[in-house]
Amino acid sequence: MSSQEKKEKRRGSGFRILGMSPSEISREFFSSNTGKVASALFIILVVVSIYSYFALPPNFGAMWNNPSYWKFNPVDAPPAWINYLTTQKLAPQVEITPPQSVVQYHGVTYITSTISVADPYTVPWQDIYVLFNGIPANASVALQLTIYRPDGSSITIGPLTPSGGYIDLASSLQVEDQILNFFSSNGQSVNLAPTQSAVPLLFQAYKNGKLTSLNGNYTIKLLVTVFNAASVGSSPLSIIMRGNVYGLMGTDFEGHDLWEGLLAGFPIDLEIGIVSALITMVIAIVVGIMSGYFKGWIDEVLTRITDLVITLPAFPLLIVFSVLFAWSLWDAIIFLSILSWGGAARIIRSMIMQIREAQYIEGAKIVGARGSWILRNHILPQIMPYSLYLLVTSAPGAILTISALNFLNLAGSAYPTWGNLLYWADDTGALYAGMWWWVIPPGLLIAFVAVVFILIAIASEPVVNPRLRYG
Amino acid sequence: MGLLRSLGFRAINLVLILIVVLFIISYALSGPASSVLENQVKIEARAVAQAVLKHNPNAASQAQQVYNTIVAQLEKAYGLNQPPIIRTFYIMWDMLSFNWGYSFFPQNYGVSNGKVVNIIASALPGTIILDTFGILLSAVIGIYIGTRSALRYGSISDRGVMYYAAISNGLPQWWVGIVFIIAFAVMLREIHSPIYFPFGGILDPQYFGTWLTNPVAVFANASAVINLLWHLALPLLTVLIVNIGGWAYFARTVVLNVAQEDFVTVARAKGLSENQVVNKYIIRPAAPAILTSILITIPFVLFGGFLVTEVVFKWWGLGYVYNIAITAAGTPDTPVVVALTYASTLLYIVIVFVLEILYIMLDPRVREQ
Repeated sequence: MSSQEKKEKRRGSGFRILGMSPSEISREFFSSNTGKVASALFIILVVVSIYSYFALPPNFGAMWNNPSYWKFNPVDAPPAWINYLTTQKLAPQVEITPPQSVVQYHGVTYITSTISVADPYTVPWQDIYVLFNGIPANASVALQLTIYRPDGSSITIGPLTPSGGYIDLASSLQVEDQILNFFSSNGQSVNLAPTQSAVPLLFQAYKNGKLTSLNGNYTIKLLVTVFNAASVGSSPLSIIMRGNVYGLMGTDFEGHDLWEGLLAGFPIDLEIGIVSALITMVIAIVVGIMSGYFKGWIDEVLTRITDLVITLPAFPLLIVFSVLFAWSLWDAIIFLSILSWGGAARIIRSMIMQIREAQYIEGAKIVGARGSWILRNHILPQIMPYSLYLLVTSAPGAILTISALNFLNLAGSAYPTWGNLLYWADDTGALYAGMWWWVIPPGLLIAFVAVVFILIAIASEPVVNPRLRYG
Repeated sequence: MGLLRSLGFRAINLVLILIVVLFIISYALSGPASSVLENQVKIEARAVAQAVLKHNPNAASQAQQVYNTIVAQLEKAYGLNQPPIIRTFYIMWDMLSFNWGYSFFPQNYGVSNGKVVNIIASALPGTIILDTFGILLSAVIGIYIGTRSALRYGSISDRGVMYYAAISNGLPQWWVGIVFIIAFAVMLREIHSPIYFPFGGILDPQYFGTWLTNPVAVFANASAVINLLWHLALPLLTVLIVNIGGWAYFARTVVLNVAQEDFVTVARAKGLSENQVVNKYIIRPAAPAILTSILITIPFVLFGGFLVTEVVFKWWGLGYVYNIAITAAGTPDTPVVVALTYASTLLYIVIVFVLEILYIMLDPRVREQ
């Protein structure tokens, strides 16, 4: 046999599914625009999921559920980029660890630092926090800060003492008095509502009898005196100026950074889709093959069970068990998969019934092939493409169902899910307040992930259904 | 006779499903979650004891005695002193006989006396209205669009329908509802539009009291009916936008398969008019298959979307009551949740059965068996 003939032979007996070699299948899949778009979107989905795995800290779930972690953030703040869309310029969240000098003199530590901030905003910062890190708990700390304003005036505030490791300027009555005194010494009186913070006044001035924002460069000088501290770190101070807008995606009612919350949802939704689809597929194949290949009572029983599972209402059962047993996300996913293999198993069974009657199976039996050999060589290769198609089509349903469950505040996980973000939005009335940055993105992302799987399914349809191949 | 027989078979099948669902829930309640039922018994007994105390504030010991007697009797009645498997059947019997007990937090529902059966009865009409309108309208419109686009296979409008179907299949219906509330209720109010939609609810407060006690009386009042329809507009729009795509896609696939059959080619070759070919040779044979797909997807449509859509619109139906029962009190109102699951399964089975009848009427192979 010449090498040419060998090559011919290899090509002829190569691995083929539904009369197509793997390269033909991928060519068929990528030949349509849908296939290209779907695979591009899927790659984006996977890349973002991997990115979120590395970008978020490993204890992100605990962080998210700890309100004190987010207490310095503005609540219900829109994303920072809306400044580009409106005439109003809202001051964003600013976090600075300024250069600072630490001097010890006669057992007293002095920390001095100067910060300069540009303020081109029409709505100023709402609060200033001064955070202390690395100062022993038994030390007594006093802070004095002077703010030099663009119009040449300056306001001195202090001495202030921290509680819980930080100073919150807006919550201090002393700060309010000092700011109001500054205005009244200029002959201006400011009426503050009882709940209103005085801190924004630091960045405002009277112009034509109206309080408006004073734009320009501000310099803030800080002097911290620490008594009873053997040693403090090299940069113990950091400043957070609480803005009106926050980050890429804004914040919710507890000041959670929604960008991080949304990011955490990517791997979760991808896992929901893939895991539930895998379980569904495996059950469907096993049941389908068993009931299609073995005739008689096995088929009868399995068909009855399949019919039952198809009509079983999964969603109310999911709700009731999530309530009764306080199910986690993973419990719900597994239960959902156990209830959703019915339709697929029915189709696989009918495929097997057709294959079983084929002459090559009969031939294989006659020459003495065992059942497992026939299964591996004749049956599985034929139902494999359909099973993969099934894998893709059952993912969106699972994603939507689990999201709906999360929207009812059931089947929770340590990480925030998109459905759960929407639950809190609904629960706290965010949609009636028109907080689109909180309400729109999670739903869009749920739809995005579901649509990616649907597009993959559509693109792979011609592979599975030869009728559509040349149409 | 064959028709009745196959219908009877389906009915038995569906009842079997109801019983399976019931058994699963009852078993969970009797075994792993039996403390739920014990609490329920105590609440019922406490209600009676408090009534005794109200009549005679000095009869504290008597009230305690009454409480103990009732707890003992109810535990016997619910089978709490029986082994779990026997108890399961007690619970099943209570469910089947609509003896659904009392809500833990009756004040959350605004339905007098807090009986679960009354709460659910008050919510049923809302769900039936939204589901019936939603399923029927979206199926009719969707199947129409799907058939048309299959007959124009490959055209731009056909592709448009395909992509719309793909995307709408992936949309969470309840989230679309949220977007509509923001757009048509919140934003329209903000820009002082003369027309804006309600934030939610099923009726204005002045009619809602009547709706809870006697929904039929609401339909006698023309302005109340208009109010109801006005509140229905946004939820229905949501349901339609999301569900039409799915029906259209099914219808399109089925019609496409039929349109490639030889008998269609023969009909065309015979010189029949295009109308006749489409109506008699394509749509008619495709109808049962479309219905079958509807049958398979109904659970998803109904329970994945509709129930949660009610939550978003605070539409007084089973889904919204689910939401109240789960979240309103901080701890779940278990008797209501369990009874709701049973009630929605019941409703679902009725809908499936109606569709089965339709299916048998449409498919001659089944009808003339």
